[in-house]
Amino acid sequence: MPPLLQVENLRVELAVRGGAAPVIDDLSFTLDHGENVSFVGESGCGKSMTALAIMGLLPEGIGRIASGRILFEGEDLTTATPARLREIRGNQISMIFQEPMTSLNPVYTVGEQIAEVLRAHQKLGHKAAMETAAELLDAVRIPNARSRLNAYPFQMSGGQRQRVMIAIALACSPKILIADEPTTALDVTVQAQIFDLLRDLRRQTGTSLIMITHDMGAVADMADRLIVMYAGRKAEEGAVDTVIEHPRHPYSQGLISCVPHIVANLTEERHDLTEIPGIVPGIAEFGQDCCLYASRCPKVTDQCRTARPPEKPFPNDQTAACWHAEDM
Amino acid sequence: MDSDNLLDIRNLTVRFPVRKKGAGWRDKHFLTAVDDVSFGVRRGETLAIVGESGSGKTTAALAIARLAAGETSGEVMLDGTDILPLSGDRLKNMRRRVQVIFQDPYSSLNPRKRAESIVREPLDNLTDKTEEEKQEIVDRLFEAVGLRPEQKRLFPHQFSGGQRQRIGIARALSTQPDVIICDEAVSALDVAVQAQILNLLRRLQAQFGLTYVFISHDLGVVQHMCDSVAVMYMGKVVEHADRLSLFNAPLHPYTAALLSAVPSVDAEVRRNARRILIPGDPPDPLALPKGCRFASRCPAVKPLCSDLSPELVDHGGNHRVACARVTEGKNPIFET
Repeated sequence: MPPLLQVENLRVELAVRGGAAPVIDDLSFTLDHGENVSFVGESGCGKSMTALAIMGLLPEGIGRIASGRILFEGEDLTTATPARLREIRGNQISMIFQEPMTSLNPVYTVGEQIAEVLRAHQKLGHKAAMETAAELLDAVRIPNARSRLNAYPFQMSGGQRQRVMIAIALACSPKILIADEPTTALDVTVQAQIFDLLRDLRRQTGTSLIMITHDMGAVADMADRLIVMYAGRKAEEGAVDTVIEHPRHPYSQGLISCVPHIVANLTEERHDLTEIPGIVPGIAEFGQDCCLYASRCPKVTDQCRTARPPEKPFPNDQTAACWHAEDM
Repeated sequence: MDSDNLLDIRNLTVRFPVRKKGAGWRDKHFLTAVDDVSFGVRRGETLAIVGESGSGKTTAALAIARLAAGETSGEVMLDGTDILPLSGDRLKNMRRRVQVIFQDPYSSLNPRKRAESIVREPLDNLTDKTEEEKQEIVDRLFEAVGLRPEQKRLFPHQFSGGQRQRIGIARALSTQPDVIICDEAVSALDVAVQAQILNLLRRLQAQFGLTYVFISHDLGVVQHMCDSVAVMYMGKVVEHADRLSLFNAPLHPYTAALLSAVPSVDAEVRRNARRILIPGDPPDPLALPKGCRFASRCPAVKPLCSDLSPELVDHGGNHRVACARVTEGKNPIFET
C-alpha cells in the first residue's frame, strides 16, 4: 500500500521583485495512515506554505509549484484539475486555520457553515445536513449543540469558534487533517481542551494529522514525528522524542532551548536563555547554495557558507541537513 | 504591608460602563474588569500577573500606570504616594516613573516618526532636559538595547519585530523609570527573538534596578522572569505567592489546572503530569455568580463554594489563596 501522502522534492516559488524565490526548497516527506506529523519553525520558514501547497491553495498568480510531486494515495495533486482538487479539498483533506475569528463567515450561522460542506461533498439535503451538523457540534463538545446551530460566530467564544472550525473540517471524515497553528490564538486551558478533542477524534476516526506550530511543547504533546523547517528547507526530521532528546541540527537545538519551559521541580537557579541571534532571512535570500542558517549558527564553518548541506540520514530514522550533524 | 514595597495596590477596582440588552437607557450597568484587588511589588523585583484573556490582568496593570479607561477606585501607592488622584505636574512626574512596554511592536510605534524621535518622545513630553542631554540619553539607550547607532534615522517599518520591540523598550527606559509594565511584551514575537528580548529585559533590570510588572499568559515565560506571581481569574486575584511556592506547590485549583494545561517538552514532566481538565467557559462577566467565580468549572467544588465568595487568605510564607477548600496548605484537587 502506498503511503497516504507522499511529498517528493517539492519546490514552491513565490513571485518577488526581480524573479521567483523558492519558499519551499526541495522538501520531501511522507505521512502514513493515522500518523501525526508536526512542522516546527519560526514564521517565514515555509510551514504554512507547505500546507497551502498540499491543499492547492497557494496564492493565485503569486505562488506556484515549480517542481516536485504531491502524491495523495498515489494520485499527483500538482497536476490535478481544479475540479478534482475541489472534490478532494474539504472532503478527503481538510484544514483548520489559525484565526477562528476571521476564517468563519460572520453573516452565516455556524450550522449553515457546517451544513454547506456536507451539502457540497456528500450531496445531503438541507434537513439531513443540519441534522449531521448538530451531531458534529455535539462531537466537538459544544454544549446544547442543537440550539447553537443558529448562533453566529460572534456569539461564540474563541475556543468555541475553533471547535466549529474543527467540526467543519471533520464533517466529511477526511483522511488528512491539516491544522495550521490551531491553538495559537487561544488560552492554555482552551488549548488543552482542543488538543484533547483532536486526540479523541483521531482515535475514533483514524484521521492523519499534520500540525503546524512553533510550540515545541505542543509538538511533544501531540505528534509522533516532527519536521523542523528553516528558510523553506527541511532542517531536521525524526521521531519527536528522539529529536527533542538529541537534536542533530543546531537550529532544532536552538528552538528547543531558547524557550523557557515549565520544569517539574523549580529551583532558585535561573540561567540566561539560549539566544539564537538575528532573524530568519528574507525570502530574497532563499535558495542560495549554502546553509541558510549559517549566519545565526554557533557552529558555522567555511563549508556552511559555500555549499548547501545534504540531508544526512541517521540509523534511528532521524535526518538532519547540517554539515556537522554527526558531531552534535 | 511590607515596607520594601515600591508599589502597593490596595482594593483596586476598575469598571467600565456598558449597555445591557433590554435595560432602560437610564439604568447604568458596569462590567467590573478588576474587582477589589490588593497586592504589593517589592523594589527591583518582577511581579507577574497571569490569567486567561478576560481575566483583567491587562486592565489591572494599565490602572497602575494610570492608563485604564474605566472608572478606577482604590489606591495605587507608588513609594507611599497614591497615584490615582494625581493631576497636572504631579501626574507628569508619576508618568516619568512608570512606563509601559506594549504587546504589539507594530501598532505601538508611530509609523511616521524616526526611531530616535520615538525614543526621545517621553523625554520631550515629561522632562525639561536640554537637546544635548536628550541626545546623549537616546544614544546610550540605543546601545543598551542592542541597536546600532546608524539605525536611529530609520522608520519603524524598516525594523524587524524584535528590533521594534527593542525600540519600545528603549522608549520605556528613556525617562529612567522605577517601574516598567510589560504588557505581553514578548507574545507577538517568534520564539528565537523572544529569548533575545527576555534576556535583554533581565539584563536591563539588573543594570538599572528596575521593577517590572510582567503581564503574560505564557507560564513558561513567567516562570523564567518573575520573582512573585499573581494569578487572576474573572477580575479577582485567586492566588499570589513567590515564584517557587507558586510553581512547585500551587494551592488554588485554577492555578493547578493552568499549570497542568501547559504542554511540556520534558518527557519526565509529561509522564508524571496529572492533567486537570477544567470544562466549559468562564462565566459571563456581566452576570457573575454570587460565590466563587471559578465554582462552575472547579474540579474540587463543594456546595459551599457557590454561596460564599472566598477572600485571599495567607497560608504561610506570604502564599495567599482565595479558595474556601484550601486547608492546611494543601491543594484541594490533590486530596482525593
